[in-house]
Amino acid sequence: MTEPQSGPQKEPQSDGGTPVTSASIVDAEGDSTAVSGLVGQVALATRQVGSLAATEVRLGLRRRWAVILVGLFAAFGMLVLTFAGSAPGTAGFERTAASLAMLAVYVVPLAALAYGYDAVVGPAESGWLEVLSALPVTRTRILAGTTLGRGVVLVGGVALGFLIPGGILVSEYGPSTVPALATLLLAAAALGLAFLAVAVALSTLVREKTHALGAALLAWVWFVLVHDLLALGVVAAFDLSEGAVTALVLANPTSVYRVLVLGELGAGGTGGFASIVSAAGLSSGLLAVALAAWVAVPLAAAALLVRWRGTIAAT
Amino acid sequence: MHIETTDVTRTYGDVTALDGLSLSIPSGSTFGLLGTNGAGKTTLFRLLIGHETPDSGTVRIGDTTVSAAGPEIRERVGYLPERAGFPAELTAREVLAVTGRVRDLSDVDSRVASVLDTVGLAGDADRPVEGFSNGMRRRLGLATALLPDPDVLLLDEPTAGLDPLGVVAFHRIVEDVSERTDATVLVCSHALAEVERLCDRVAILNDGQLLAAGELAKLTAGTSGLEETFEAVVTGDGQPGDEQSAAERPEASEAQRPPDTAPAEREEGAP
Repeated sequence: MTEPQSGPQKEPQSDGGTPVTSASIVDAEGDSTAVSGLVGQVALATRQVGSLAATEVRLGLRRRWAVILVGLFAAFGMLVLTFAGSAPGTAGFERTAASLAMLAVYVVPLAALAYGYDAVVGPAESGWLEVLSALPVTRTRILAGTTLGRGVVLVGGVALGFLIPGGILVSEYGPSTVPALATLLLAAAALGLAFLAVAVALSTLVREKTHALGAALLAWVWFVLVHDLLALGVVAAFDLSEGAVTALVLANPTSVYRVLVLGELGAGGTGGFASIVSAAGLSSGLLAVALAAWVAVPLAAAALLVRWRGTIAAT
Repeated sequence: MHIETTDVTRTYGDVTALDGLSLSIPSGSTFGLLGTNGAGKTTLFRLLIGHETPDSGTVRIGDTTVSAAGPEIRERVGYLPERAGFPAELTAREVLAVTGRVRDLSDVDSRVASVLDTVGLAGDADRPVEGFSNGMRRRLGLATALLPDPDVLLLDEPTAGLDPLGVVAFHRIVEDVSERTDATVLVCSHALAEVERLCDRVAILNDGQLLAAGELAKLTAGTSGLEETFEAVVTGDGQPGDEQSAAERPEASEAQRPPDTAPAEREEGAP
């Protein structure tokens, strides 16, 4: 708890070349101190966030979330493979992969919201957040560590769960299907992270876990069921500009995911609202950025909300 | 480490939680903070650990102004919140290890072992917290506060909800820590007997205002004890007798200046 000390001032020196002024030495030392201070802060933040994330991963494993997520995705994936049959050739693969992608639209957001809804309000209710808040760490770093740890568990669960049906597809249709399946897997993981971020943001807003759970379920209903149907109706009823249609897509991470993955699989016709906009000129890059924004923006909002809330520990 | 608040006011909307509080807590003392619900005790704790900032006035720990220090102020402060809780799936050792790592302490493992021994949880170190009694959880909370070997230890309702044996065990640990270390201990409690047992100095708050502060022995002089003193000070009716009123008034006026600081020292510009 010492006050910051300014570095010792040195006498002006000359190396025989450019004259060195006292002011320039002080400035250089000040810059150097500031840089080393910044590096130290970043290193400390990394260690703190890493420790909290590791604890969150440990909790995810002990609370069986990792097993539940892997089992969920593996079971539903195998179900899709069973009912999709094994039609030969490219068409067969595309149909099966599209079914897997559509499955992810429903299951991944639900799993992410269910796993993330209590990220902040849960520890606040239990008193753990108040213990953490008593440590020399900012609320933003606590939030970052919690979210990072849950993100690792979620992505790990999605990846391991989809690897089983994915492996079967590769063995059946050959290694040429790997890039498409990898795109599907990455997009599903990004979709999961987007909904995890939404869940964390909702978790910072409420005072009780039950409220957070209700808000998470409403978010699932809106993004997965209602928004797509509503957008479809609006597009059918009005002569919307291309920009408006694009905005409708980008306003929903599941729509972004649908357009991205089904476009990559060449199966846009099975994507509901996404089928309408599959030819709207949205590049894969833009869609990937949009999904990344759906991760970043809710997390940034959560970071602000945590600070605005005054204290993340219940008062 | 010396703690000082100077004319601190903190409001929440229309509610004034602290109203011009000036209080000085000498280094190494065990200080009790008493008051009715809503008196401002927890707000003062939150100001001390930097979770809140005062609307006006200053809060200092040692030479550091808390509101200007950021989270770093908590490096040398151990805080046991009233509602401390822990993930049920973690063991006591894991709870302490993660708090130690977030504090960026060196020798975390040996510190954890030492503090587990101090609070009497060494034998339960590797058990999940879900199997812990309330008393064990409070002792684990105390261990998280003691882990950095703090200069200032803040205990918010430390024995609330504990059975009598748990209270006794907790008191012994706090007394032991107070004797062995130079830490300034600040205890916020509704249990007057607890404050009477643990603390050598006391402050009484009501509606955000400091009513009395000073050495426990002086404050309770001429009364049957702290309970009687507290009632008389808070109700302000002079009950239970004139002796109390006489005993309390000098202390109450003393509260307007740091109670451990002589007037002559203040004239010389002492904090």
